[in-house]
Amino acid sequence: MLTYVVRRVLTTIPIFFAALFLVHVGVSSTTDPLANSRLCLPRCQAGYDMLVEKYELDKSIWQRPFTWFGHAVRGDFGFSEVLGAPVSKVLLERGGNTAILAVPAFLLSALLAVLLSVYSARKQYSRGDYVLTGFSFLGLAMPTFFFGLFLQVFFGVWFQHWTGLKPFYTSLKRDDSWLHLLQSATLPILTLTIVSVAADSRFGRASMLEVVNSDYIRTARAKGLSERTVIWKHALRNALIPLVTLWALGFAALLGGSVITETVFSWPGLGPAFIAALSKPDLDLVMGISIFAATVAIVFNLVADILYGVLDPRIRLD
Amino acid sequence: MKHRGRIARSAALVVAGAFVLASCGGSDDSADGGTTEGTAQVTDNETCGTGTLVWAHEQEPADLHLDDPENGLTITAWIRAGLLEGFYGVSSKTEFVPELLAKEGEMAENADGSVTVNYTLRDGLMWSDGTALTADEVKQTFDMIMAKGADDAYIYLLGDRTGLDTITDITVTSPTQMSVTWSKFFAGWKALFGEVYPMHVFSADPATAAAEVNEALRTWTHNGATLPSSGPLVFGEWNKGVSMTLTCNAGYHGSVSPDAVNRGVAQVDSVQINFVADTDAQINAVKSGEADMIMTQPQLAFEELSSNAEITVASSAGPVYEHWGLNLFNKHLKKPEIREALALAINKADVMAGLYTPLFGDILPATGLGNTYWMSNQGTYVDNQGDAGYGKGDVEAAKAKIESAGYVLGADGFYEHPADGKLTLRVGTTGGNKLRELQQQLLQAKFKEAGIEIVIDNPQGGAYWNEQPFNEDALKCAGSGGKEGNCEVWDIAQFAWVGGPWPGGMSSSYRTGAGSNIYGFANAEFDARSDECDATVDDAARAACYNELDLYVTTLTKDPQNGLFMIPLTQKPSFYAVSNTRLATFGVAPDANSAGPLANVVDFKKN
Repeated sequence: MLTYVVRRVLTTIPIFFAALFLVHVGVSSTTDPLANSRLCLPRCQAGYDMLVEKYELDKSIWQRPFTWFGHAVRGDFGFSEVLGAPVSKVLLERGGNTAILAVPAFLLSALLAVLLSVYSARKQYSRGDYVLTGFSFLGLAMPTFFFGLFLQVFFGVWFQHWTGLKPFYTSLKRDDSWLHLLQSATLPILTLTIVSVAADSRFGRASMLEVVNSDYIRTARAKGLSERTVIWKHALRNALIPLVTLWALGFAALLGGSVITETVFSWPGLGPAFIAALSKPDLDLVMGISIFAATVAIVFNLVADILYGVLDPRIRLD
Repeated sequence: MKHRGRIARSAALVVAGAFVLASCGGSDDSADGGTTEGTAQVTDNETCGTGTLVWAHEQEPADLHLDDPENGLTITAWIRAGLLEGFYGVSSKTEFVPELLAKEGEMAENADGSVTVNYTLRDGLMWSDGTALTADEVKQTFDMIMAKGADDAYIYLLGDRTGLDTITDITVTSPTQMSVTWSKFFAGWKALFGEVYPMHVFSADPATAAAEVNEALRTWTHNGATLPSSGPLVFGEWNKGVSMTLTCNAGYHGSVSPDAVNRGVAQVDSVQINFVADTDAQINAVKSGEADMIMTQPQLAFEELSSNAEITVASSAGPVYEHWGLNLFNKHLKKPEIREALALAINKADVMAGLYTPLFGDILPATGLGNTYWMSNQGTYVDNQGDAGYGKGDVEAAKAKIESAGYVLGADGFYEHPADGKLTLRVGTTGGNKLRELQQQLLQAKFKEAGIEIVIDNPQGGAYWNEQPFNEDALKCAGSGGKEGNCEVWDIAQFAWVGGPWPGGMSSSYRTGAGSNIYGFANAEFDARSDECDATVDDAARAACYNELDLYVTTLTKDPQNGLFMIPLTQKPSFYAVSNTRLATFGVAPDANSAGPLANVVDFKKN
């Protein structure tokens, strides 16, 4: 196992750096930090020169990433001009805010996906299965912003209009109240959950159907095991393997910042920060968020690989 | 019914606004500006305290330093309008009005060609920290902006020095009186000293102070303390990416804006600006009561708010105005008859009706815009194109003009020239602007009736300007009188300008050989007259002079061969919506670079 982990990490490193290198070059070649300064020359000559020096604009775009890497390996990810703080601080604060949405949304969607998958597989072609399938397709077909705005209007505007009660906020209410935080986070968490569950439950259903129709499940039933034991102990464990891959990718993406959901709900997470950084451009912040997102993706893929072995003892990572 | 309701509301607001303005010149001090119901009296509120005004806005500044190249957002100027005052503010008519001044500056022309303006500050001006705001501080602000560093260069990032650099003397004669002398008249003099900085908290040495101010303006703090305010609000707290809080300045000396009803301190405890990037989320924030107001560019999505009984749409004339710029060296557009045909066939009322009138009523003239120097809400505005008979959709007159240039109507309904071919013109702009594209489609249909084919060509992303009007070959063509470069890179460019109380900068885009003169207009008489206009001391005469310059640009009156290379289209209204269930009164919000919704924040009162 340890050898496998070390081998995976080592093979990941060049991919990791290549990806970051390309991000740096790509952003550098498509943006112009001097755009605003050009308009006020010669008045802004000093500022213009300062930006040239800061972003090394007098060097080739192929050379510039190396300076950033040099600082990054020493723990200095630079300073975000957009958010006026060191990138490491931004990652910590914004990453924390994103996690407030991502962790509950992931847990909720994983739980629901498992329950719905089991139900649909056991009651294949039942009325309930058709209803759930319909909702899954709706969830897959509709864009994320639709659900976000719908929930915002339904619970934030209409519900209040009908009942006079205001259970949730449509954006983050910034104070020290945990209740207000919960009321602010609920709708974005629900949005992320709906979108994740729609995809996961389809994969879960297909996987579960394949497993419940396999020989070893038939054998388990023939042995006289209860249906509950057959499904929850023997079938689900194997059916979870493809879901684990999805969860690893999905959770990494959620932690990297949900651009649309966080924007719709004005949630100060990594998603809006990334958009702001790209549009400026704030190269240090773009690189910081990219390195964070890449690390999370790699770690969770590794965790998924390890979980395969736990779920199916036949899979040996060494 | 829906439209009638909107129009009625808009009309009510216009009447209310008119009452405000009327009250300024009157003696009974009665007004009804910015109130959601009833008639408000001019008041003198003495204490802050009816809660927090929440403003949802899509833009968040990078910092609060206006001259920082990393910044430059309108929102930065709007926030600062509530914090710092200057000699002149900007009214809802986009005109300069005295702010810190007790009366208009008095100008005298000197024998040597220089001019001197005597300023008198209002009595009792105070900073929020209790220090008196005096004429000395104005001079210190000037010295700081003009300070040079050790390398004998100006300190980086300290304001546009245009107009300040020709000041030869500033003499302070008393705490409230000072005189400023320019080596020659500067037409934009009222735009100077637009903000006076709290110099008493900075070092006495101008160069040291300049460095300190540069740093302090980013975060609005100096040595760990918030900068004192001369406006109705004091900077409070900034949660980047979430919100900014400005608190009521309890020591505020009061507003003298003609738009303001309250002459005392703000009536709210604080203003919280929530940064809500998504348009629909802004609407939901106002509808759900989580925001009290929004103010933004008009967008189709906002239409539903105007029919909401709990929301008042208080739109106003915005500073953004749209144009079509014509390439004078295009084979068709080089003929004045064709340019005039475009101006005749265009129906600006259709555009206004299609885009703005249903939502904004008669806040702007239904006939569209007819001037490139002045905006329709300014007292100095003259509808030059309208007066020339343009912009009214006169298709028959347009056809007659085209035929007089030798064109013949083809079987496909479009005119053709024996030598230059089919009368087809490309109109371009940066793609993705839905309102602008709708505008193009409305105009395209009208031109088709006149036998002119308009091809809409809007490249996505930011490529249009660099690749077409500002393409190196296109600029070479414009600068060489069509002798060099490539004159067929672009035909018609659609774009917007942001106007202000002083329009003198417009001339620089039209001068012979100017870098931003993409049209290829060259007229020595215009250049000379432009210099004369900028040197005209009298405000009314200068305004008239700019209107005369506009005749070169938008008509054939002054230059029958090369004139009429711009077609002003519409001025955009600003969308300003407030919750009338959560606010008892609200302020007039002039949409100008140095004004915005906080310019009259003293008039906001929560229920």
